[in-house]
Amino acid sequence: MALTSARLLTRTVHEKWICAHSLTLRPLVCINKAAFYGEYRRPGQAQDRTPPWKKIRFSFAKGVQGIRKHFGLLKDEAMERWVGPQGRPLIEHMLEQTRVQWEFRGPESLEQWLVSTDREIGGRSEAYLKLGRNDSACMLYGTLCSTPPRDGETCYSGYCTLRSRQLLSSFDRKKNIDWSSFNTLYIRLRGDGRPWMINIAAETYFSHQKDDLYNYFLYTRGGPYWQDVKIPFSKFFLSSRGRIQDNQHPLWLDKVSTIGFTLGDKADGPFQLEIDFIAVCNDRAHTEEFAYEMYKRNPEV
Amino acid sequence: WILAWMGLEINTMAIIPLMAQQHHPRATEATTKYFLTQATAAAMILFASTMNAWTMGDWNINQISHPLATTTVTLALALKIGLAPMHFWLPEVLQGLSLTTGLVLSTWQKLAPFALILQISQNTNPALLTTLGVMSALVGGWGGLNQTQLRKLLAYSSIAHLGWMIIILQFMPALTLLNLTIYITMTSTMFLSLKIMASTKINSLALAWPKTPTLTTLIMLSLLSLGGLPPLTGFMPKWLILQELTKQDLPITATIMAMSALLSLFFYLR
Repeated sequence: MALTSARLLTRTVHEKWICAHSLTLRPLVCINKAAFYGEYRRPGQAQDRTPPWKKIRFSFAKGVQGIRKHFGLLKDEAMERWVGPQGRPLIEHMLEQTRVQWEFRGPESLEQWLVSTDREIGGRSEAYLKLGRNDSACMLYGTLCSTPPRDGETCYSGYCTLRSRQLLSSFDRKKNIDWSSFNTLYIRLRGDGRPWMINIAAETYFSHQKDDLYNYFLYTRGGPYWQDVKIPFSKFFLSSRGRIQDNQHPLWLDKVSTIGFTLGDKADGPFQLEIDFIAVCNDRAHTEEFAYEMYKRNPEV
Repeated sequence: WILAWMGLEINTMAIIPLMAQQHHPRATEATTKYFLTQATAAAMILFASTMNAWTMGDWNINQISHPLATTTVTLALALKIGLAPMHFWLPEVLQGLSLTTGLVLSTWQKLAPFALILQISQNTNPALLTTLGVMSALVGGWGGLNQTQLRKLLAYSSIAHLGWMIIILQFMPALTLLNLTIYITMTSTMFLSLKIMASTKINSLALAWPKTPTLTTLIMLSLLSLGGLPPLTGFMPKWLILQELTKQDLPITATIMAMSALLSLFFYLR
C-alpha cells in the first residue's frame, strides 16, 4: 500500500514536472516546421504531425535503382567536365547566340512541367496539359472560375499556372540554368487573347526570398497564327508572394531555376495556350540593363 | 593572439559594408556567407590560442606549440584564405560581388591571415600543410575547368595559387612571400583589366579583341603569367617551389603540383 502510494506520488510529481516544462521543452524537442517554412494548410485541416521516420517506405529494389541512377548521373557529370561547360565544347558556348531551352516534341517533354490551379485552395478552376497536333507543341487548356471557396478565409480565387520543374543533378541536387550569355526571352506561342504573366524564379539563399519571382506580362493574340514573343530580361520586375516589391533589382541570369506562365485575369471561362518552344537569345541592339528605378534618388544639384 | 584576433575581426567587419554596397540579393548572400566563414575561422583561432595559453601558458603568436592548437589554428587560417577543403565559400562569394570588391577580397584580405601563417609556419604539422597544398592545387585546377564566369574562374585560380604558397611554407617561407606578392600583382592586373572592360563572362572577352586590342593582349599575358608559363613572371615562383620540393626529396609532391598547374594552364589558355 505504501509502495503503491509512493509510485502514485512519483508519477504525479513526474506528470506535474512534464506539464510545467512542456511549454519550454516543446520548442526544443519538436520544431514547428510549418512556422518556419510557411506551409499552407486549408482552413480546418489539421497539421500533419507524423514524424518523418514514419513516412519512410523502404524498398530495396527502388534503393538499388536509385543508387545506379545517381551514380550514373555523377559519372556523366565528371565526364562532361572534360568536354566543356554543361557538356558542350567551349567554342559552342562562346559562339551561341540563341538556345532553345524547352521545346515540346514528345510526351516526355510534358513531364518537365507542372500544372496547378486554385483547386489547391478550394477553388473550381481546371487546367490540363497535353501535346498538340503532330506532337509539335503543348496545349494548356481549361476553365477559369474566380468564385472564391467558401471557407471563411479565402477572398480571391481564379488562377492557373504552368511551371517548369526544378532541374536536378546527381543525388537530387538542384541544378540551375545559366542564361548569362543571353538577354532576351523568346517564346513561340499561340494564345486566346488573354493576358498571361511569365514568372521566372532564380536561386535564392534566404528563407524570406523563397517566394521571390521575376514577372512580366504576356499579352496573347487570339487567332490561328503563331506569335513570337521577345521579352528582354531587363523588363522583368521583382515580386514576392504576388506583391510587387518597392526595392527592385534586375534578374541575375546565372542561376535561373524555373519559368512559369500564370493566368489570373479575373475573367471566368475557358482558356487555351499553345507553346511551341521557349528559347533565349542575345539581342545585341538591346543594351538596357534594367527598366525600373535606374534614376538616382536624391541627386546632387 | 588576442590582438591578432581583434585585427582579423576588424578586417572582416570593415569589408562587410563594402561587399553589401550593391543592394542586390546576391551581394547580400555573398556578404552573409563571407561573414559566417570568417567569423567561424576567427572563433576557431581564438579557441586554439586560448587552448594553447591554457596548456602551455603562452600567448605569443610564434610560440604556439600544443599540437591540437597548432592544427586548429592552421585549419582556421586555411578557412580564412579559402584553402581546400575549406574553399567552398570562395567562388560563390566572389561571384556575388563587383569586380572591385572581388579584387580587395582576393588580394588585401589575404595579407592578414598570411602574416599569421608565416609566423606559425615553424610549428605547424608538415603533413597537414602538404595535404592542404596539394588538395588546393588539385581542386583549383579541377574546379576552374569549364567555368564561364570570370569571377569564379579567378576564385579557383586563387585557390590553386594558395595551394602553391602553402606547400612550400614549411621549407622556405620566403618563397611563400614571393609567391604571394607576385600573385597579388597578377590578380590585381586581371581584376582591374576586367573592370575596365566591364566583362564578367568569358564570351565578352572573346568579343573584346576588336574593341580594345591592347587591353586584350594584356589580359592574355596576365592569364598566361597566372598559369605559370615561361618566360612570364608567374613561372618564377612555380619553378623555385618545384626546385625546393625536389631538393627536399619530395619528387612525387612536385610532380602532382606540376600536373595540377597544367590543369590550371588549360583553363587559362581556353
